Amino acid sequence: MAQPVVPKRTYLLAYLVLLALLLLTTILAYINMGPFSMVIAILIAAVQASLIASFFMQALYESALVRVVTAGGIVWFLIMMTLVLTDYITRGWLPFPGK
Amino acid sequence: MADHAAALVREHFSTAEQQRETETLGMWIFLATEVMFFGGLFVAFTVYRMYYPQAFGTGSAGMNIVLGSINTAVLITSSFTMAMAVHSAEVGNPRLLTLLLIVTMLLGCIFLGIKFTEYYQHFLEHRMPGVWFDYAGPAASKVQMFFVFYYFMTGLHALHMIVGVGVLLVILGRAMAGSFSAGYSTPVAMAGLYWSFVDIIWVFLFAIFYLQGLHV
Repeated sequence: MAQPVVPKRTYLLAYLVLLALLLLTTILAYINMGPFSMVIAILIAAVQASLIASFFMQALYESALVRVVTAGGIVWFLIMMTLVLTDYITRGWLPFPGK
Repeated sequence: MADHAAALVREHFSTAEQQRETETLGMWIFLATEVMFFGGLFVAFTVYRMYYPQAFGTGSAGMNIVLGSINTAVLITSSFTMAMAVHSAEVGNPRLLTLLLIVTMLLGCIFLGIKFTEYYQHFLEHRMPGVWFDYAGPAASKVQMFFVFYYFMTGLHALHMIVGVGVLLVILGRAMAGSFSAGYSTPVAMAGLYWSFVDIIWVFLFAIFYLQGLHV
């Protein structure tokens, strides 16, 4: 596979979408959605992150091996998050004597 | 130009392409470790925010969302100019590469300038954790905890930015010395990966610190 050269137009398009998403997430911050404001902010951030990784960092254009490593970084992070939260969320669900 | 590129292939690689792929893979593995590095802090923040949502909302209300949004735009723009710099290196345009690297570094410095302005404002408002911290409302120690996370995570990010500017300085020096050509531009691409990764971290920091404090 030759070195991927991403066309300039793709970069520009990704850049414009990123700025639009920034505007959207900032406007949404002014609307009170209770606990969902954090969920939506994180979701938009995740879309922005995947755009940056896919195009600016050319992850979409790299070999399968590189994409597996990229996905691996995300998966390991999610494992860490899930395992820690399964502890903290479920604490106090069951009554233990002496606690 | 092809000879120039061929001369830069180390002896343990068969082709320039194999060398490029290996370097790219190594860089991505490094970035995966960086995900875990920042990830621990993100997990800790999540746990504390889950326990004290009210106090963390109060802390977030002390953020300047205008400066935060401007800073995010500055950083996204720098990521774009960096991607364009990598593009110019790949198509063999050293003049544009030099220009774009300088623009990227300037944007990075503007980001740091705005960031430190914010730190200074928080400091004046007694939102600096430690003996200087002063908050009259309820759950002051939890609000202080928010600022511990804020300073630690944005500070670690700022440190990465400073390192990034340093890396770009080295790349700029090599670009001006004519080290890169259409056949050999991997170091520029690796610096670009690092720079954009730091941008990704900021996008999440912006979401968890700035966007939550308007409705407390």
